[in-house]
Amino acid sequence: MILAIETSCDETAAALIDDAGRLHANVVSSQAELHARFGGVVPEVASRRHLELICPVVQSALDEAKLTFDQLDRVAVTQGPGLIGALLVGISAAKAIAWGKGLPLVPVDHLLGHVAALYLEPVRLEPPFLCLLTSGGHTLLLDVQEHTSLRLLGTTLDDAAGEAFDKGARLLGLGYPGGAALDMLAREGDPGAYSFPVARLDGLDFSFSGLKTALLYAVRGLDSAELERRRADLAASYQHAIVRALVEQTLQAAEKIGARQIAVAGGVAANSELRRALAGAALAPVELCTDNAAMIASAARYLKPLNPPGYLGLDAYASRQLA
Amino acid sequence: MLTLALDTATPRSSCALLEGEKLLGERETKAVSVLAAADALLAEAGFTPADLDRIVCGTGPGSFTGIRIGLAAARGLALALALPLAGVSTLDALREGVPGSLPVIDGSRKEIFTLIEGRPAVTRPEQLAPAPGTLCVGDGAVRYRALLEAAGAEVPPDASELHLVRARFHARLATDFGSAELVEPLYLRIPDAEKALER
Ligand SMILES: [Zn+2]
Repeated sequence: MILAIETSCDETAAALIDDAGRLHANVVSSQAELHARFGGVVPEVASRRHLELICPVVQSALDEAKLTFDQLDRVAVTQGPGLIGALLVGISAAKAIAWGKGLPLVPVDHLLGHVAALYLEPVRLEPPFLCLLTSGGHTLLLDVQEHTSLRLLGTTLDDAAGEAFDKGARLLGLGYPGGAALDMLAREGDPGAYSFPVARLDGLDFSFSGLKTALLYAVRGLDSAELERRRADLAASYQHAIVRALVEQTLQAAEKIGARQIAVAGGVAANSELRRALAGAALAPVELCTDNAAMIASAARYLKPLNPPGYLGLDAYASRQLA
Repeated sequence: MLTLALDTATPRSSCALLEGEKLLGERETKAVSVLAAADALLAEAGFTPADLDRIVCGTGPGSFTGIRIGLAAARGLALALALPLAGVSTLDALREGVPGSLPVIDGSRKEIFTLIEGRPAVTRPEQLAPAPGTLCVGDGAVRYRALLEAAGAEVPPDASELHLVRARFHARLATDFGSAELVEPLYLRIPDAEKALER
């Protein structure tokens, strides 16, 4: 039985998974509301909240699974990438629990975790596959040949797709985080009403900053009554442009490496248009796409655990290390 | 009664192991390695984490990240081993090490954390008005030595041990052992983003 902890951004999460890969608990305490008034995640605010929530969240995962600390075999924790101060709360608590109980610790890369959500029920995917990992922090095309390694094929040159969604939502007055609200609004609009530019890059990279600027100009060109009337069309067209960029590059990557299976992971995989556009792809359930500890637990099953005292000095890392 | 005490609020963090009131060992460490120090102390004394009876944690003020590293470790340990936890202010522990002194912790941003009328406070070093001859200790006292000495205070040499936060004093001061959730961090500052929002 593995206890996994995830605190890389603004979700405090704990999960329990058994040796067969079956989840026994998956608790996520989101701080989204806390950060909404700032219009984005504030690292210091997030870190303070993680400290308040970490033990209650771990305890409720154990309660949900009807397990005690004595029944654990390993502890897993997100080591990075993410907000350093936020990561360190989870790492510190995980080290303490593992050390206290004399257990091994498995440091897990957050991105490897997102991909590992696909190994869980109900998808149960196995490598090799091509993975589009798209979230508020990342937009990556990954060649996944085995459970424990990722090969980078393409990434964003500026904003992540999730960031583009959130920024677009803010321009349309949908608040923060607005990706889901934009998705909802887009259903009522015409995706062909505006033609927003999709950056055409030579390789397999992405760029979303031009798109955001185009939306800004479109919004500025409308008075408030018009904007209100065209908001759904703007949302639909904007979303369509992002999804088209994601889909086109993903298909191109699949062709280039001869991938037979495509998968989508990360928070943006919850977007309904993307899910429709890549209907043949493996898609994790929405609750396993956004940040959670179940995916960290899933990744930990394939990684080598560190024995005490080897992990007691373990530090967090902020930026991408894998791929 | 085996007590583990730790304080990671300052860059030179501390961890101590006591049996009853007897100090078995104390180590200086980086915040992120505080449990490595704890492990070494236990091993030297022939114990394992399962032998611990209670935990004492420094609650700050100091580095926000440092405070959280210590408190997350202390709470995690208390939770996993079902141990009582007590919190002790880093300022109180510093003063306990040098009776009669005024503890001054570097707060960065040209500010210090200290005791004003016995209460933890954040202020600018030039606003501190120590009584003549007051012995100021802590990394803030070292950093603002010139200012404090000009104001009539005394500051031990930079390399003096008296400036170090030492966890044995947390253990000595700890009285309220109880639920880990009740031990709160002492930040003394609200996040900048909240300050900006209030304006
Ligand atoms: Zn993520």
